[in-house]
Amino acid sequence: MDGKVRWRQGILARSLLAAVVVALLVGAVATHGVGSIVGARAHALALTRLGELLDTVERTASIACFVEDEQLGKEVAEGLLRNSEVRRVTIRVGDRELAGAERAAGKSRAAGEGDLAGAANVRTVDRVLHSPFDAALAIGSIHLEADAAVIDAWVRNNTRNVSLLLAGQIALVVGAALAALFFFVLRPIKATSDRLHRLDAAGGERLAIPRGHRNTEVGRLVGDINQLAGRLVATLEQERALRSRQEIDRRKYQDLFDHASSGIFVAERFGSIDSCNPAFIELACLPDQVGRARRLTDAHWQDPGKLLAMIGAALDGGQGACDDDFLLQGRRGDERWLRVTIAPLGDGSVQGTVTDVTQRKREELSARRLAVTDALTGLANRTGLHRRFADLRPDDGPFALVLIDLDGFRQINDALGFPVGDELLAGVAARLREFLASGDEIARIGSDEFALAWVGEGDRQALAARVERLAARLAQPYAIAARDVRTPLAVGVSMGLALYPHDGGDIQQLMRAAELALHSARSAGGCACKFYEPGLQAAAVHKRRLEDDLRAMVAGRGLDLAFQPIVNLRSGRVAGAEALLRWPHPAHGFVAPDVFVPLAEEIGLIGAIGRVALDDACRHAAQWRRGGLDIYVSVNVSARQIPADLAPAAVLDILRRHGLPPAALVLEITEGVLMGNVAVAQAWIASLRTAGVRVCLDDFGTGYSSLSYLKRFPLDTVKIDKSFVRDLCIDAGDRALVAAIVAMARSLGLNAVAEGVEDARQLEVLRDLDCGFGQGYHFSRPVAAAELAAAILRIHGAASAAPVTENRA
Amino acid sequence: MPAAHLVLLFWIAVAPALARADLVLVAHPGSGIERLTRDEVINIYLGRYRLLDSGLNAEPLDHPADAEARYRFYRSLVNKSPAEINAYWARLIFSGKTRPPRVVGSVERMLELVAASPGVLAYVDRSQADARVKIVFDVSD
Repeated sequence: MDGKVRWRQGILARSLLAAVVVALLVGAVATHGVGSIVGARAHALALTRLGELLDTVERTASIACFVEDEQLGKEVAEGLLRNSEVRRVTIRVGDRELAGAERAAGKSRAAGEGDLAGAANVRTVDRVLHSPFDAALAIGSIHLEADAAVIDAWVRNNTRNVSLLLAGQIALVVGAALAALFFFVLRPIKATSDRLHRLDAAGGERLAIPRGHRNTEVGRLVGDINQLAGRLVATLEQERALRSRQEIDRRKYQDLFDHASSGIFVAERFGSIDSCNPAFIELACLPDQVGRARRLTDAHWQDPGKLLAMIGAALDGGQGACDDDFLLQGRRGDERWLRVTIAPLGDGSVQGTVTDVTQRKREELSARRLAVTDALTGLANRTGLHRRFADLRPDDGPFALVLIDLDGFRQINDALGFPVGDELLAGVAARLREFLASGDEIARIGSDEFALAWVGEGDRQALAARVERLAARLAQPYAIAARDVRTPLAVGVSMGLALYPHDGGDIQQLMRAAELALHSARSAGGCACKFYEPGLQAAAVHKRRLEDDLRAMVAGRGLDLAFQPIVNLRSGRVAGAEALLRWPHPAHGFVAPDVFVPLAEEIGLIGAIGRVALDDACRHAAQWRRGGLDIYVSVNVSARQIPADLAPAAVLDILRRHGLPPAALVLEITEGVLMGNVAVAQAWIASLRTAGVRVCLDDFGTGYSSLSYLKRFPLDTVKIDKSFVRDLCIDAGDRALVAAIVAMARSLGLNAVAEGVEDARQLEVLRDLDCGFGQGYHFSRPVAAAELAAAILRIHGAASAAPVTENRA
Repeated sequence: MPAAHLVLLFWIAVAPALARADLVLVAHPGSGIERLTRDEVINIYLGRYRLLDSGLNAEPLDHPADAEARYRFYRSLVNKSPAEINAYWARLIFSGKTRPPRVVGSVERMLELVAASPGVLAYVDRSQADARVKIVFDVSD
């Protein structure tokens, strides 16, 4: 709208024009119609009038004819001619003209123009004349010609008048309607329109309702326009506010978009990029081009189809975002892993977020490799081995699984340090590799445990020979470069073999079988190689049951203690009693300590058993003391209990609880304790001895029996192993050993206790060797606590009866 | 004219009885006229033509306007009243081409005139027609 409404296009001019046109059309049609009707009626009227005119003269004319009176006929004719519409009259009697009259042409009122029309348009009226005295008798006729011009003029005149009248009426009505329209409709609308045109709605201006139109449609229109303007202004305000907020939001998100470290892009299905941020260009190494639209496939993806497929899946799937990692070739040939998350936007395009996950991927890869690899030796680990043989099929060829365990490796580690142990392991691994053929597998499955899988090997004899060679090779000394180890290290190995598919259908069963075989080899004392046999399985099951029973026993305090008196050989009196664990098994009878103690050590029950044993022993000792038996109690302590399971403080606490002096307790340890962490063992022993508890070294003479122990550890007593005492009387070597031990003990200020004294001759020899104490069946079997007193009485009785050759005590 | 009205009423009342008194048209016996038709009588009396076939000019006589015979004559001839006949003649009289029949005051005079000249015609009651005249038309037929 350019503002001004030109008057010709205005509603006023249009209405006026429309009214005039309609009026003209209606007027023309109406005038024509009315004119036709009026003309027709005027013609009819003229003829009727002529007929009526004839009626008036008919009688006279018939008389004139009757008497054939020309004069009368002429009078009649001329009389008729006085009527202006009549042009000619002829009265006939039979064929003869009686009379006639005609208007002179010049006298016609419509002369000239009427001639032609009159000639063409002659209207005549004929009337038959009857005798005045006989209505049935025709005697002549009268012929009347009308003057058409006159009639036409009259008709025209009539028609014109009527038309003029009609036109005038129409003009009046239209004028009145126009005036009403102008005053009641057009003027208020024009005024409203002009006002509306200049209206400043935003400035709060509103239209005024034209006077007198409060309740009309115009008034309502103005009211509605005002309301609409109000709403429009309000909506525009909201719109403006919304736009400004959107603009702020947009700027905010634009900043995020531009400066995000993640790549962000919006792309359509086939990879053309609608928009992307600088980070994406950087991450995807997109070329810096301005002219052409970028495409996702411009980047050097390793598998661009996969990316497009994922976009397609995200668009078709409709289940939110999906993501995946993609490998990209960087600018400098470096590989780069990008994690791309695709989310459909709902308009057929997707939004993608891209982050660089190269670092994480590398770590994952290395972690995955680590998971199946032993870092130290570079061999596979247990997982790797399992994975290698994860899906064995029956038709796979046979292979042998060899488990190799280094004997005493822990001691080497403890004594010489981890670097030495590690180097040793590497050396072992290197030698194991020498025994690999193609397809074979090698793994380090434990700290000092290796596994070899010899593929295609099924023959036991060949295997045995091969294992033999392997054992020999492994047994050769290892030159260790680390630290200050000068001498080459030698280490023994135990090996367990299991055969696929003979000994197990899958790698787990096979491993278990090989482990059982290895265990059996280890139990046999190490440096051995065992094939798996079904019996091993049974033994393992038995052991397993025993373990369960042992647990139940410990939990139910089913442990029993027996006591074997220790006799002072010089005085013959009982000095103390060794507490021996006894397990009265409901099915197997009494289970020997050398069976269940290692078992308890293995399954970690030894701590609990040891504490219970110590507590029980002390309780009995306290009872004996209360009953007047002033003897000490000697309790075995396993190497596993030292130092944490049986801390000196705990020992003293037990003593205190039972009201025993420290001197009433002797703790027996084995060489194993001393071979462990020397400093810890020293501290433990020293701490107890300071408190007054004595410590005894059990089974002296077996194992390493290093004399340096005796020097390094502050001991009180050594116990001479019963294997030396047994053949004391028949084996001179044993006798010499015992003599040496006793002499050495004496010179070191230690007491010596001979175990396993079974007869008087042994006792005699021991006395000869001046051994201080003895225990064994010769004095008493281990007895229940309640029977100890009786046993002691018996010993004392026997001692007083028997001759005491020497009594230096 | 109250008297005329009374006369009229009288004639209307008595006419059927009087009609039986026959009227006849008489002519001179030597006129050569034997019989006249009704049309000929009408034509002669109402002035259409008066020249007879014989070349004789017919001269009709009429009773006075108030004569009872005149009424009967025109009524039975053309079924018109004397007033109507008068009106008829009034139209014709100015042209002068024909004249109404001559009015003769008495029957006797009429008969004399008929007897006096051929061509004269008169109508009288049958009973009044004597030897001097010849009946040429019976009006009552």
